[in-house]
Amino acid sequence: MRLPKFEHVQPSSREEASRLLQEHGSRARLVSGGTDLYPRMKYGLTRPDVLISLKGLPATPPTVDPNGDLHVDALMTLADLARSQTVLEKTPLLSEAALSVASNQIRHMGTLGGNLCQENRCPYYNQTHTFQFVEPCFKRNGDQCYLIPKGKKCWAVFSSDTAPALISLGASATILAPKERRQLPLENLYTGDPLKPLTISDGEVLTEIIIPCPLSLRGTAFMKFTLRGGMEYAALSVAVVLDMENDGVLCRAARITVGSVGAGPIRAGKGENAMAGQRLSKNLFQEVAQLVVSETHPFPHHGYSAAYLRACLEVETRRAFSLAAEQITRNPGDPG
Amino acid sequence: MKQIIELSVNGESSEFAVEPQETLLEALRDRMGLTGTKEGCGTGECGSCTVLIGGKPILSCLTLAVECHKRDIVTIEGIGDGNDLSPVQQAFVDCGAIQCGFCTSGMVLSSEVLLKENPNPQEKDIYKALEGNLCRCTGYNKIIEAVHKASEQMVTEQE
Repeated sequence: MRLPKFEHVQPSSREEASRLLQEHGSRARLVSGGTDLYPRMKYGLTRPDVLISLKGLPATPPTVDPNGDLHVDALMTLADLARSQTVLEKTPLLSEAALSVASNQIRHMGTLGGNLCQENRCPYYNQTHTFQFVEPCFKRNGDQCYLIPKGKKCWAVFSSDTAPALISLGASATILAPKERRQLPLENLYTGDPLKPLTISDGEVLTEIIIPCPLSLRGTAFMKFTLRGGMEYAALSVAVVLDMENDGVLCRAARITVGSVGAGPIRAGKGENAMAGQRLSKNLFQEVAQLVVSETHPFPHHGYSAAYLRACLEVETRRAFSLAAEQITRNPGDPG
Repeated sequence: MKQIIELSVNGESSEFAVEPQETLLEALRDRMGLTGTKEGCGTGECGSCTVLIGGKPILSCLTLAVECHKRDIVTIEGIGDGNDLSPVQQAFVDCGAIQCGFCTSGMVLSSEVLLKENPNPQEKDIYKALEGNLCRCTGYNKIIEAVHKASEQMVTEQE
């Protein structure tokens, strides 16, 4: 399969990349690893005239600032992220999520920023449409969905594995625009609209992720459910962060994010509220898992029915709670 | 617009004028004649186009040739020395871990990287390292066996 023609620009800094992006407008796309964009270009789903490549720019290794927050460069490859000792010590949840993405080769190419800014996917859209003689779907500027018969909207899902983990960790993203640098909570990066999944506009570059790492007692768990167990987009993923009171018995606050079952990562607010202030127990996990299922409404996708995903989500959420609780009892003095 | 790039493949440098949309895979196969690197899916799913850049396994079908200027590339032709096979290649032959052979170059390169980083891998480490390499003849058991054998042999040789 061949790539269509384009002009290739290699800026010497992120600031220059942002300026070039604004200059070329919608004709240009930003690319680093290319593992999400190039297949779509080969399928003919998108045809940017100009590619602004960040591949030559070095990634700064993860650093911890005086507040104890972890700063991760968006250009860091997922393999380096999964292997970084600093990340593993501060937030093992992120290492685990990065390690669960695709394959070894793709983790060595793909970057954290690229994983967070990937396009939504569906089995109809992500293929070549050359010999199809049917009307295009919503995502190809048509007016129908082939996944859900008579569907009135697009059902493409957002499949990033690192996004749910980072949202549960309360991460924020630094966005570089030509004239300013702004920060936003990572969950505000996603619109929830499959046709335009990201809130960042032309000329803006995601440069850094900042993860708050409080010193309180904390248990985390990431579950990715797939059919084969490797080299696969998640059927669903759940990231759970339980912050405990100092006694290690009562849960002070919980953050639960579900990925791959909607047009963006979904925070389970009701579940989080039900968890806060409670003593951890198997019954509580069961109740909250049911609450998480009831409020997330999983999209059926890639052959998984909504009922199947609901059943799996309940089990995986419960398992995630148990793993997080186990971590708390195992390392009562460890802030990780 | 064509750009002039210098590719250092298996220790030998050569210069080419390439279009920006040309992938490393196309440069290796069509310009240099190194057809050991295979194109399977062309979209990053099968791993048969795996090559090593700076010692890391990457997919040459999703890498632009212009971005490999002056990078050290190792393909399957650079493993072993032409006459003698590397321990991994020999183990693949001995275990019969080859059926049609299309995935083999990618499998061998992924295994080489694994054994360099972790000379004594557990079964789950091998699964994780080879998860991006598909074999459609479904000969995975023998491939896992071959990696185990190569690892044992490399450890014995070092002793």
